[in-house]
Amino acid sequence: MERFISVSPLKLLDQSSRKGLGTGNLGVLIARAGVGKTACLIHIAFDRIFHGEKLVHVSLDETPEKVTSYYNVILYDLVKALDMEDEFEFRGRIDQNRLILAYLNQSFSLDRLRANLENLEKNMGFKPDALIVDGMDCKEASRETFEAFRRLAEEVDAEIWFSALSHRHITETNERGIPYPCHEVDDLFSIILQLQPETSGMRLKLLKDHDHPSISDVSVSLDPGTFLVQAKE
Amino acid sequence: MEEIQNLRNIGISAHIDSGKTTLTERILFYTKRIHAIHEVRGKDGVGAKMDSMELEKERGITISSAATYCQWKGHQINIIDTPGHVDFTIEVERALRVLDGAILVLCAVGGVQSQSITVDRQMNRYAVPRIAFINKCDRSGADPNRVLMQIREKLNENPVLMQIPIGLEGGFSGVVDLVSMKAVYFEGDRGETLHVKEIPAELLEEAKARHEELLDAASLFSDELTEAILEERVEDDLIHEAVRNGTLARKLTPVFVGSAYKNVGVQPLLDAVNRYLPSPTDVENIALDLDHDEKEIPLKVDSKKPLVALAFKLEVTPYGQLTYLRVYQGSIGKGDDIFITRNRKKIKVGRLVRMHADEMEDIERAGAGEIVALFGVDCYSGDTFTDGQLNYSMSTMFVPEPVISMTIVPSDNKAQGNMSKALNRFTREDPTFRTHVDAESGETIISGMGELHLDVYVERMKREFQAEVVTGIPQVAYRETITAKAEFDYTHKKQTGGAGQFGRVAGFMEPSKDGSYVFVNEVKGGAIPTEFIASVDKGFQSCLRKGALLGFPVAGMQVTVNDGKAHSVDSSERAFTQAAVGAFRQAYNKARPVILEPIMKVSIECPSEFQGNVMASINQRRGLIMSSAEDGAFSAIDAEVPLAEMFGYATVLRSLTQGKGEFTMEFSKYAKVPESIAEDLKREFREKEKGEK
Repeated sequence: MERFISVSPLKLLDQSSRKGLGTGNLGVLIARAGVGKTACLIHIAFDRIFHGEKLVHVSLDETPEKVTSYYNVILYDLVKALDMEDEFEFRGRIDQNRLILAYLNQSFSLDRLRANLENLEKNMGFKPDALIVDGMDCKEASRETFEAFRRLAEEVDAEIWFSALSHRHITETNERGIPYPCHEVDDLFSIILQLQPETSGMRLKLLKDHDHPSISDVSVSLDPGTFLVQAKE
Repeated sequence: MEEIQNLRNIGISAHIDSGKTTLTERILFYTKRIHAIHEVRGKDGVGAKMDSMELEKERGITISSAATYCQWKGHQINIIDTPGHVDFTIEVERALRVLDGAILVLCAVGGVQSQSITVDRQMNRYAVPRIAFINKCDRSGADPNRVLMQIREKLNENPVLMQIPIGLEGGFSGVVDLVSMKAVYFEGDRGETLHVKEIPAELLEEAKARHEELLDAASLFSDELTEAILEERVEDDLIHEAVRNGTLARKLTPVFVGSAYKNVGVQPLLDAVNRYLPSPTDVENIALDLDHDEKEIPLKVDSKKPLVALAFKLEVTPYGQLTYLRVYQGSIGKGDDIFITRNRKKIKVGRLVRMHADEMEDIERAGAGEIVALFGVDCYSGDTFTDGQLNYSMSTMFVPEPVISMTIVPSDNKAQGNMSKALNRFTREDPTFRTHVDAESGETIISGMGELHLDVYVERMKREFQAEVVTGIPQVAYRETITAKAEFDYTHKKQTGGAGQFGRVAGFMEPSKDGSYVFVNEVKGGAIPTEFIASVDKGFQSCLRKGALLGFPVAGMQVTVNDGKAHSVDSSERAFTQAAVGAFRQAYNKARPVILEPIMKVSIECPSEFQGNVMASINQRRGLIMSSAEDGAFSAIDAEVPLAEMFGYATVLRSLTQGKGEFTMEFSKYAKVPESIAEDLKREFREKEKGEK
């Protein structure tokens, strides 16, 4: 576990002011299509699980089987890349501490998610420390939606991560340097990360660090195959 | 290719008593396969054609699946009779697998009942496009509109009415076709003459509104139709094409109305089978290439390609075993040599027949997409046939080990013989169903993949083979394994008159990586003579059959023998086998043995309002919830639960969900039993052992 944590993409947040997102807060990962948003979110999930936390993966467009197979493929690559022998143990740990909630065919609503989380705690004793919300259309989602998510994060005392799809041809950016589609709701997010392809691999940049006013190019370079932090930059 | 496009392999699936058999009978009558109509519960004692078993005739329901062939307006239709009951056996799975499309029959009075939901969901799993037929519109209380709503709400489908009924209940006399906007009446003794007339004035307004709804729904699947609607030049063919596109994509369910019993609406339904349901070329089928690690290979519906066919159903007839076959690729002809992939056995095709329930028609050759039957072929259900060039299988060759077993005792002498016949048949049909006679108790033991799995076969023994049996309590198939390395050094020495016995075996045992038994010989310098090594291996293997903790088999052990000693006169194979047994006993308890139990992957579906209760019930059973998916008003929960905790869960789930929840389970893996439960099991085992002594 230690070996993974030391090269996890979330290692970037060690350089943030609070060393992480923190409960009650929202975080978002912005990237263009096909860059690897879901893979990067799953790495965030691994990071939380291997830190001993419980996680709920909320999928708005994929079935649980599909989500599980993403996790398995990424774990498989990870185990291979880090030459770790205890894949079985990792898998067991993930199964014990991750729960997938899928909402298919527009079945999602915040009230349903809230009811499901209550259910999990009441009937299973499963109380997540982090939520990952994959497949939400951030450009369509209203400000009220994110405000409601923020209230939910506080209520359930967990951090919530989203992914947001940016477009090559939409270059809109607000005065704080936050790009489309999060430029109008950036005040609701505590951490904003951007994943960008570059010639030597992938760069994960910290665009917003809580209420810390100035960030001077805090980023890490990721291996494009494994999404792990590359040894030396 | 043109012929294949006119072929339909369909299933008719329905809740018991919604009139499936009557509908099938009418279809066979109108397609001129039969020349008289007998009712399911008819007084003439002949019974409907598809019910080929006596008992089914008595009960008026169809149990076993059979395939029958008919022709309608230039199309060939194979009707695969899928069992209407929900027992989840491999036979139902295979029947669903060979279908390309289906008619979902719903009762206009009963509507969408829980069994229809199950069947519909099974069809979703196999991605079967379907059309719906609301039957029994002549019955009192018939309400097709309510059923339409239920298709939307309970089955989460996108239904669209293709017809509206003319009159209902006692006054039901025909249908309005919403494509051609004409009224159709069914006249003659058996409704065989269709009269097309203008829509009755009182229905015109509703028909127009429903026609608009149909155009709206269908236009989503055809740009051409959308344009035509805008330009007000809609033609029937454009609507048919759009509805077909939506049906094949499983995004639209065309709904028809009628009453098979009153001979209303069956012929238009047959037209719809031709128009909207897929031909074999519209569906992709996958085979597994056994030469390349079961790689998935899409098959080509081409009769010139090498043969790939699946035996999906066996039937014992007075003339021998009849094997129903779907040809997926290539063709099969009388006199051909074909091969069973499972055992590479060559078979010469003798009689090739096309089935019509219990009558048959000899044919010379059948091509890709067709469903035929072979006579007198010795094979198992689920076998794949090829022409020998390909090493393909239509289903995985991996057969899991049974996880549950129970004793069965025939109730009398007659049942004894019938039980043997039944067991012989079932083991041919289903590789996960096993049977053996316990060497110690002499009892017949059946084993399988779950409680329901065994129950279904016990029920079938009674039903099909008249073998009444008394069943014992189901037993979970535990395993034992070791978790640490432990050394042994054991000398077996016996000198009590006569020839002595001497053998020394030294080495270590440790957990194996892949869960199998591995024997490693590292003996150097002939410390154990080569001819005795096999005996040492045999000695260890004999111990694996019954572990010391619970008496269940030991799995996942690697034994390395690296030293030993032999005596020139007293050493023998027997002495070394005994030495290995001694060595095993010496080391086993030191190797920290643990008990493993089968863990099942359990999938539960229920209305979302019961999700919390269901989750709690899984938690109480030491289960681990992996995921929950909500789709409309339904939730699907996937969990891993120890098999030992799942006995009687069907009843529990029913009462938790007002009968609306259902579950399936399959074996997932073996996992360590928690310490407290392991202690209980060991105590029980010791008490049982004591009792036996």
